[in-house]
Amino acid sequence: MQKRSFLGSFGLYGTVIVVCGLLLFPIYWMVLTALSPRTQLRSYPPKFWPEDPQWNVFSDLLAAQPFGLWMWNTVLIAVATMILSLTIGVLAAYALSRHRLRGGQGLGLFILTSKMLPATLLVIPLFAIFKSLGLVGSLWSVVIAQSTLIVPFATWMLKGYFDTIPAELEQAALVDGCSPLAALVRVVLPVAAPGLAATSLYAFVISWSDFLYARTFLTTSESKWTLNVGIATLKGEFVTDWNTIMAASLMAALPIIGVYLFLERYLVGGLSAGAEK
Amino acid sequence: MIDFSSPRHRSKFGYLLLAPAVLLMALIIIYPILLSVDISLQDVRIARVGADREAWTLKNYDWLFNSGEFWNAVWVTAKMVLTVGGISLVIGLATALLVNQRFRGRSLARLFVALPWAVPEVVATVIWAWMLDSSFGVINWLLLRAHLISEPIQFASNATAAFFAVCLVMIWKGYPLMSIMLLAGLQSIPEEQYQAARVDGANVWKRFIYVTLPNLAPVIGVTAVMTTLWVFRDFAIIYVLTQGGPIGGTTTLSILTFEQSFSFFKMGQGAAVGVVTMIICAVISRALVGRFASSAH
Repeated sequence: MQKRSFLGSFGLYGTVIVVCGLLLFPIYWMVLTALSPRTQLRSYPPKFWPEDPQWNVFSDLLAAQPFGLWMWNTVLIAVATMILSLTIGVLAAYALSRHRLRGGQGLGLFILTSKMLPATLLVIPLFAIFKSLGLVGSLWSVVIAQSTLIVPFATWMLKGYFDTIPAELEQAALVDGCSPLAALVRVVLPVAAPGLAATSLYAFVISWSDFLYARTFLTTSESKWTLNVGIATLKGEFVTDWNTIMAASLMAALPIIGVYLFLERYLVGGLSAGAEK
Repeated sequence: MIDFSSPRHRSKFGYLLLAPAVLLMALIIIYPILLSVDISLQDVRIARVGADREAWTLKNYDWLFNSGEFWNAVWVTAKMVLTVGGISLVIGLATALLVNQRFRGRSLARLFVALPWAVPEVVATVIWAWMLDSSFGVINWLLLRAHLISEPIQFASNATAAFFAVCLVMIWKGYPLMSIMLLAGLQSIPEEQYQAARVDGANVWKRFIYVTLPNLAPVIGVTAVMTTLWVFRDFAIIYVLTQGGPIGGTTTLSILTFEQSFSFFKMGQGAAVGVVTMIICAVISRALVGRFASSAH
């Protein structure tokens, strides 16, 4: 690689800063709006710097709206979906990775194609099923519905990790008299820990981002809403309260941004395993 | 008790591990798909599972192919796939090439360039809705300031403006995937190929055309399919921003499916739209994956 001239590297840094600035402007605008006094948002020209940051917007939000409850519901759903999908996904992925099973290829193909399913189609029969089971309005309905996407996803992503772990590892344990299940739990899983963590976080992100299922199954009472349903409704109802909406949005986005900073190097694996998009 | 560690029973252990996944998928994916085909063949308003089923009829499919709504949704979806896919590919490729350069702080730049990936769709949509606000939105202000427009664009009531507003949000949410995948693709191109091209006297542009692009073709293919399917299936962005309006200007197949089922409570018609959408998605992904897989070899 030839050495870059001073002007060349200056131009490169300039380009990087301008591009990042443009692409990330909406995120900055969200933070800025959240911290602005409400009256200032209805004045032209808009201010591009927080002159008088209103930090109390977050505590006001928690006090006035059932916002804390929405966040709690979102966390409950995400954790339950994560545990369910990971448990089932680990077992299936291990079987697909280690055993040459009849129908295993077909199942792999099915898992890959299941991500093409339009969720708006799946939501109709699921609604009919949950209605007859009396599950509409229960957080479990969303957990089950999200599993239609997350279980296949977790299985596929974990299979990729198990494929990279040499089979000799658990064969040695089996020779030592370990049962196959114990070999999986005590020998393979600890080695696959980074993969497990990445897959769990991915499952968490997908669950946290869901809007369709929560919007369809949890409309009955406001106390059952998730963050996304709540924010979408705030946008519809109080169109002028943009600082409140942006504060709520910021709090809904922060956990995922945190996960992203941690997940970054696993992103490619997860994206090719067929995440939401 | 079967001894699963003996080689004879090893595959039985495999099936046992697979059983929960197979069972769950049968219950929550395969059965619902069959059920939705069943619902699409019934003249039903609010579908239930139980005895009160209707006789099978092709009425919903008859409505589908003869109503303007379905064909409008096909047209809107196609326009959206091309606009969003094309522009996010360009931005994704440009940003990937940019952060593939060697410079100090490059890993930080990589982190930032794909950050919109980490903003939940509903949040992204709400941010853009505020920026595109017709009275106090920053985008209208900038456009007015730059004298590109003489009066604020009504993103909520103008069908063309609403369409581009939806595309804008989708591009912002969609380009990071392209960027991340293409960057991984760029990193896997052997440096020798560039050196060989340089020896042959190829300039930057020729190296891009003859080395970079052919190597990236499979990745571009896969991400194009993923983005296409995402636009086809997306619900949150359109629903929160425009609810499919105004006058169907942003009603994609996905929105039409939901609207028929849960706004008008015509689940038979909704399911019919959904089943046709599913078939279209399956055909597209087969065709595209096949083509790019063969061009890669």
